[in-house]
Amino acid sequence: MLKVDNLVVNYGYIQALRDVSLEIKENEIITLIGGNGAGKSSTLMAISNLVKKTSGTVTFDGRDISRMDPDKIVSLGIAHVPEGRNIFKKLSVEENLLIGTITNKKISKKEINDRVEEMFVIFPRLKERRKKSGGSLSGGEQQMLAIARGLMLKPRLLMMDEPSLGLAPIIVEEIFELMEDVKKSGMTILLIEQNAMLALNVADRGYVLQNGEIVLTGTGKELLDNPEVKKAYLGI
Amino acid sequence: MYLLEQLINGICQGSIYALMAIGYAVIYGVVGLVTFTYGEIIMMGSFSAFYYFILFGDNLFFALIAGFITAAVVGIVVHKVCYQRFLDAPRYISLICTIGMSMFLKNFATIVFGSEMKGMPAFFAGKFIEIGTIRVGYMQLLIIGVVIALSLVLTIYLKKTRMGMKLRAVSQDKKAAALVGINVKTTTLIGNCIGCGLGGVAGILLGVYYNSVLPTMGGMAGLKAFSSMVLGGLGSISGAAIGGVLIGVVENLGIALTSSGLRDVFAFLLLVLVLVIRPQGLFGKKGN
Ligand SMILES: Nc1ncnc2c1ncn2[C@@H]1O[C@H](COP(=O)(O)OP(=O)(O)OP(=O)(O)O)[C@@H](O)[C@H]1O
Ligand SMILES: [Mg+2]
Repeated sequence: MLKVDNLVVNYGYIQALRDVSLEIKENEIITLIGGNGAGKSSTLMAISNLVKKTSGTVTFDGRDISRMDPDKIVSLGIAHVPEGRNIFKKLSVEENLLIGTITNKKISKKEINDRVEEMFVIFPRLKERRKKSGGSLSGGEQQMLAIARGLMLKPRLLMMDEPSLGLAPIIVEEIFELMEDVKKSGMTILLIEQNAMLALNVADRGYVLQNGEIVLTGTGKELLDNPEVKKAYLGI
Repeated sequence: MYLLEQLINGICQGSIYALMAIGYAVIYGVVGLVTFTYGEIIMMGSFSAFYYFILFGDNLFFALIAGFITAAVVGIVVHKVCYQRFLDAPRYISLICTIGMSMFLKNFATIVFGSEMKGMPAFFAGKFIEIGTIRVGYMQLLIIGVVIALSLVLTIYLKKTRMGMKLRAVSQDKKAAALVGINVKTTTLIGNCIGCGLGGVAGILLGVYYNSVLPTMGGMAGLKAFSSMVLGGLGSISGAAIGGVLIGVVENLGIALTSSGLRDVFAFLLLVLVLVIRPQGLFGKKGN
């Protein structure tokens, strides 16, 4: 479904990614693990074309999207829930959700409202705060909102950058359960996670990124059992 | 009585400033930068009405529409020249480019339109209503009415329409906007056009209120627009509107008590005083 070939990203003199290649098949959960500054976020940003690629290509369903505008990429069905709290602080919670579907003119008002209600079932805390501004939410709530906004699109590929960041363990668990549900509904997921144990457990396959390079790849189980991964990322 | 009349003059003039400041705030929001070309946009709007009146007669309503369109078109040019080309460059490049654009437009206007002051037709000359002993000119009421109407339309547009939502999203966070599939470039262009259009309308009101247009009128107008916006709190549209009215009122009350030569002194004194006490402006949030 998505294929990344020989991706190189530089920030000025800093080389963030050197020759990253990976592939995601339909309906897989793929995780990207690696230490701080390994280049995980940069990989997602390059797929969304939010950073300039020095070289390399990204193809989606066989179509080259390397130079496509970010909004076009979204309209193909690739949603990106960014790292940190990239929600709209001055829009209400509800507006933040609505805006998730703003570019899709085909879906009806009713469908949009159904989706909003669906999100409120998944994240009841957001429902209680639906009229509040995004900026008034706690960090964890903002994170939920960002995830919900991504889900509003009903994307074909959902890319999440550290969705568990700042969330209480019980909510993290819920989010991982949600991911499995979402997968059952046919979505494909590319997940970045600090919590490698959780991520590898839920993932079909994983890639380990180190200093901007893929150093290891395998099924979730293989990576969980890999001694190097154990030592470096699982702390066992 | 005299002071009350000055207060009404102040509100009227202030509502023109408010409209200019609202346009400026829209531009500042979507572009994320102050612009030095805005005064010249206001001037171009004013001149478009001047020529509209000559060519098609004294219809203020259509002149306002013509002014909006002209200023919006100039806004497209500014966008193409100053912003679009420098998307990946450091931001100050665009800023400096707007200074150059401002000089160009001012000189262009001087050469093409002539450097001398030109008169605008007088609408409702000498007509006023009396409330008690105070006189309020028809023109003043019209100006205040136009500004209130446009503010309402803009508010509804921003709150209720798809494009309005996109504009607000782009103003808040360009990256997040791109991530929900908003075309940031197009949206910025549209926001810039709307802001410029409002500036153009404000320019016409200014020209009609003072019965004159001048290629160099943009300098002070742009400065007042900027001051009003900063006074209200950078980027806040309602703040900009209130900032504009406040500056207008303070100016007019100030000159009522002293002399009319001190008009601008009062405006900027108010700005400096407020900023010393509240650096984020009256309605701005800290750290923005
Ligand atoms: N905007 C930027 N400007 C300059 N350098 C950057 C920028 N963003 C990232 N980098 C650098 O690129 C490298 C990769 O960063 P990236 O954000 O992709 O890492 P990451 O794997 O997501 O890390 P983390 O787990 O801390 O989020 C780092 O060395 C970082 O310092
Ligand atoms: Mg990261």
